[in-house]
Amino acid sequence: MKLHLDPRTKLFLILLCVLSAMFAPNLYFQFALVTLIGLLAAFSGKWQYALRGMIAYALICVFTVWCMGVLTGTWRTMLIAFLGLVHKVYACGMLAGLVISTTKVGEFLSAMAHLHIPKKLTIPIAVMLRYLPTIREDWHYIKDAMRLRDASPTPWGFLKAPAMTINCIYVPLLTAASKTADELSIASVTRGIENPKPRTCLVKIQMRSADFLTMVFFAAFLAAEIVWKAVGI
Amino acid sequence: MIEMQNVSFSYPDSADGGLKNINLTIPDEQCVLLCGRSGCGKTTLTRLINGLIPQFFAGELTGKVLLDGENLFDLPMYRIAEKVGSVFQNPRTQFFNVDTDSEIAFGMENEAVPQEQMGQRVVETAKALRIENLLGRNIFALSGGEKQKIAFASVYAMNPQIYLLDEPSSNLDMAAIHDLRAHLRLIKSQGKTIVVAEHRLYYLMDVADRIVYLDNGHIAGDWTPEQFRLLSTEKRQSMGLRALDLQDEKPICAAVPKQPPVLELQNVSLAYKKQPVLRNLSLQAAPGDIIAIVGHNGAGKTTFSRALCGLHKETSGSYLWNGNPQKPKERMKSSYMVMQDVNYQLFAESVEAECTFGIKHPDATLAETTLKELGLAPFRARHPNTLSGGQKQRLAAATSMVCGKDLLVFDEPTSGLDFDSMVRLAALIQRLSKLGKIIFIVTHDYEFVCRTCKRVLHLDDGRIQDNLPVTEESIPMIKEIFDVRRTK
Repeated sequence: MKLHLDPRTKLFLILLCVLSAMFAPNLYFQFALVTLIGLLAAFSGKWQYALRGMIAYALICVFTVWCMGVLTGTWRTMLIAFLGLVHKVYACGMLAGLVISTTKVGEFLSAMAHLHIPKKLTIPIAVMLRYLPTIREDWHYIKDAMRLRDASPTPWGFLKAPAMTINCIYVPLLTAASKTADELSIASVTRGIENPKPRTCLVKIQMRSADFLTMVFFAAFLAAEIVWKAVGI
Repeated sequence: MIEMQNVSFSYPDSADGGLKNINLTIPDEQCVLLCGRSGCGKTTLTRLINGLIPQFFAGELTGKVLLDGENLFDLPMYRIAEKVGSVFQNPRTQFFNVDTDSEIAFGMENEAVPQEQMGQRVVETAKALRIENLLGRNIFALSGGEKQKIAFASVYAMNPQIYLLDEPSSNLDMAAIHDLRAHLRLIKSQGKTIVVAEHRLYYLMDVADRIVYLDNGHIAGDWTPEQFRLLSTEKRQSMGLRALDLQDEKPICAAVPKQPPVLELQNVSLAYKKQPVLRNLSLQAAPGDIIAIVGHNGAGKTTFSRALCGLHKETSGSYLWNGNPQKPKERMKSSYMVMQDVNYQLFAESVEAECTFGIKHPDATLAETTLKELGLAPFRARHPNTLSGGQKQRLAAATSMVCGKDLLVFDEPTSGLDFDSMVRLAALIQRLSKLGKIIFIVTHDYEFVCRTCKRVLHLDDGRIQDNLPVTEESIPMIKEIFDVRRTK
């Protein structure tokens, strides 16, 4: 049985996650937050995503601890500042990725209609949600095209010829993006996305006990952080 | 009923695709085929019917379009969408959901159809269009033809009175075109009005009630299918139109003196994500060879052509060039692929710069002669993005020549090309062949193969099923491979 959350719950979770990442008193809490999101991903049937996300984060944590212990001077300052940023956004990024991959566009639009959010706002977001996966497809073609022109689409290639690599990626990506966005918009308006009638949804949109339970978990985590901080002071 | 009264339209920054003084009435239940060269205005005409002009594409517009007596320009898009359903050319960007069921329901969701009714309608639609096997699937994992079927189903589920299709067959293989025709017949039997803008005419010849020919923004012909068939082949070709009946197409490619092969594949096997795709391929090719790679979607054509270029990693067996084994890196250096969407491989800010892009010590004279050779010299200062589709293909071919590539793969180069562009492409490929390049063409286009290719390599069931010369004698077999019989 897969966990299937309501889009409204997911939005609320993102808010809680941003706050939790902001208030996290130390690395343990950051890691616990990522683990919590990993669990959520696993329950949603994305256990591979969960595993990969957690392992990557564990490596970042190990690297951070190493930096703090071993390095000194400019490198230390630079890396710590950079890693600090990574730690703040990692959890939110991981949750956002999960939300995007598990939310159907129709579901999202209907949930937003329930919340009385104007279509002027939700339609562009829906187009964007749908556009994101096409970037991955574009990227495959661009990689091939670069290899055939003797440009290497790897980090190493980037270090060797940064200007050319950026050029090779962003020129076709931009061309494809404007065309894709136009065609997606056309496909949606010709099927009446702008219809002001209250939208229905093939999948039933409903807050279930699992939704409330998940929200309580995340809220409790945030509360624990705040209490920890207060006691710590 | 659709009535166009003195409609003229021009796009703000392009001379192409405008319309001048169009008067056209399409009664209910008629199936109209719009044809003409690229840029003749047939897509523009469809945009006037589904309201994309003036609501999505602005421009200079005069005249009136009436839909059942109502002025279409006064109706909001969603009201038009209830009456007019549109299917477009590119299957990749027509869907909005990740799963097929939601996609079929998408239009109904917007129309606020109650949930129970919607579920039922999705099932009904799948049944009527015989796509039950596609329900509950991830759309990103479907083939182009299957995506196009879902796009059609999504419109069908909304049950509009008018169906509008803009080059729906461009990215489809023969089997998918056959299914598309069956779908058109079905809606025709339901008394729907159909407007199709197309380059490929043969599959519509027994569906259309009326053929409207556009030339440079004017209606230059309006025929019944019987009258249309009476046009001579020369006349039809001079109008820039493609074949009406593939049965009549014959190979016109001149035989060339045989040269010793330089490329040899020995026992090549390919896998995709650890699943075997093709096994034990053996093949030889000589300079100047033009080989069509054909087969169903999923037969491994793309994997095979990427492997030829050294782009596909999961491969075993040997690739010999002049008897010497070639590593993937070396194949990458000596080969080039002209992609179906050429936009991915044009990087520079001008045609001239594109030719020498990324080369450390570019040979300016070679670039110059190549541009002249391929007729691109007049455009040398233009940005590649401002070129037409055919010109972009030619530019990609030009870069491959400047980079000194010996093997070229064209991936579906004729999708969406009119007759003139196809002939020009055929000429380009002949020229490359004369220069001694080995050319592979992944294609579903029988007419183009007859015109251009010397050999047909048929992939199916994980191996090479046929390797036939394109000659008068082998035509019956090639027709069978392309499923030409079924289109009759």
